Amino acid sequence: MSEYEKPLPRMGPDSQPFWDAARAHRLQLPHCGDCGKPHLPAAPICPFCLSTKIEWRDASGQGTISSWTRVHKAWFPAFAGDVPYNVIQVELDEGPRFTSNLVQHKEGDLRVGRRVEVVFDDVTPEVTLPRFRPSE
Amino acid sequence: MKVDAAIVGIGSSVFGRGLPQSQLALAAVAFKEALEDSGLSRDQVDGLAINLGWPLGLDYDRVAEAFGLDVRYVNQTWLHGRFTGLSLQNAALAVSAGLADVVACVAAVSFTRQRHMLAGPGDMEGTREEGGSHGESPPFGMTSPAGGSAMAMQRYMALYGATSEQLAAVPIALRKHARLNPRAVMTQPMDLKTYMAARPIAEPLRLFDCSIITDGAVVAFVTTSERARDLRQKPVRIAGMHGICSGREEFMNAPRGLGINQQTTRRDPVRETDLSAFRTAGIDRSDIDGLYTYDSFSPAVLFALERFGYCGPGEAAEFVQDGRIELGGELPVNTNGGLLSEAHIGGWNSIAEIVRQLRGTAGSTQIPDARWLQWGTVRGDAVVFGA
Repeated sequence: MSEYEKPLPRMGPDSQPFWDAARAHRLQLPHCGDCGKPHLPAAPICPFCLSTKIEWRDASGQGTISSWTRVHKAWFPAFAGDVPYNVIQVELDEGPRFTSNLVQHKEGDLRVGRRVEVVFDDVTPEVTLPRFRPSE
Repeated sequence: MKVDAAIVGIGSSVFGRGLPQSQLALAAVAFKEALEDSGLSRDQVDGLAINLGWPLGLDYDRVAEAFGLDVRYVNQTWLHGRFTGLSLQNAALAVSAGLADVVACVAAVSFTRQRHMLAGPGDMEGTREEGGSHGESPPFGMTSPAGGSAMAMQRYMALYGATSEQLAAVPIALRKHARLNPRAVMTQPMDLKTYMAARPIAEPLRLFDCSIITDGAVVAFVTTSERARDLRQKPVRIAGMHGICSGREEFMNAPRGLGINQQTTRRDPVRETDLSAFRTAGIDRSDIDGLYTYDSFSPAVLFALERFGYCGPGEAAEFVQDGRIELGGELPVNTNGGLLSEAHIGGWNSIAEIVRQLRGTAGSTQIPDARWLQWGTVRGDAVVFGA
């Protein structure tokens, strides 16, 4: 197996639970233990009520493409074999948006409003990227 | 404290691609030209404002050391071009507060030499744990500042039915301006056919929606209006200012409420705070004779127009048609050709153009009787300049 050459997520104390969950094939979001609202990007404090009681909870894994692009230029050499490839923003049903890729898709799926669901891509033994495929 | 500041001197190097000179050498040319232009002596410069630090640009300590300055005020933003307005505003605040008498705003870049740091593995901005500020997310291939702008424009098109043919009006207008400007790097004619035939970069953005990678330097001297009265040039007054906005509702390449990143999906009409630079200047938006914006990508022009209420949410793609933003149109935008066609000197080339316009020395790109001009970006930073 060749080495994975694409950039990997930069993980730190605030985002580690997200990536740990992804590795276990679960999509989790940080929720506020006080006001209950979820947020992204993962932060050590609730942006809505400033509570520092952050609880990681399972998300439905369902969402809607809120925007997308198809990238034609390979700024990273490791993506050169993929161009053109898509990048999407998914508005998760819980509210926060997450940047990812659309996979297992057909002509016409790459559009604003398309319903999608999470799938997990184990890109290395340690790192799993949540990507999305068309649903419904 | 009342802001009481003016630009009293400008200088620039040649703009180009692959220039052999260092950033410092380019800055030296611009600095000496600004001294000559203003009539100030080097010893009178006691403040430094640096927009783009090393390694894309220059750090303040090196500039002061190399130019033999002895300054008592410095301000430096990191290497983001987007802090053009902020850097100028800091200089205006500093002289207004008496922290300095004359602040030299220095922007000097060698983007072509540092190209490996722009949007590739060497671009540290994209590696921020929570994602880069342009929306970068390298693990998913979102690796360039263009991506965030593309996402914003794609959604804008989906919401409002705007088209690539409409967006084309922005780079085409700016190229027309550049063709009148002897400093401009990009002067080949561009029409809709050329625009549409250019290679896609990140859909819906095509090649000519992206600013050019260039080298060059611009220096602007800022002082108080009182001191400005005794100097060589007609001062260009900083008559009103508004800062960069930030928060969950803001994304640096999208208007508020477009639904990018963590924005809501509520597009409100222009907010009173976004008009405050006009209010401070004592003018109405309709008094503005031209708009200058940070056109790193062409959608930024549309979004700046909406931010400041030149048109309503979703209307800018239509607004820019029929020559409205061209010289001779209702609201000329970036009459120098901007970052899309003149050069990318972090926006300072457009600040220099504002100064020439209000002095009445812009030559072939002169807006007749220009009295009020605005610097304003999609991020909310605004400066109203008066002749």
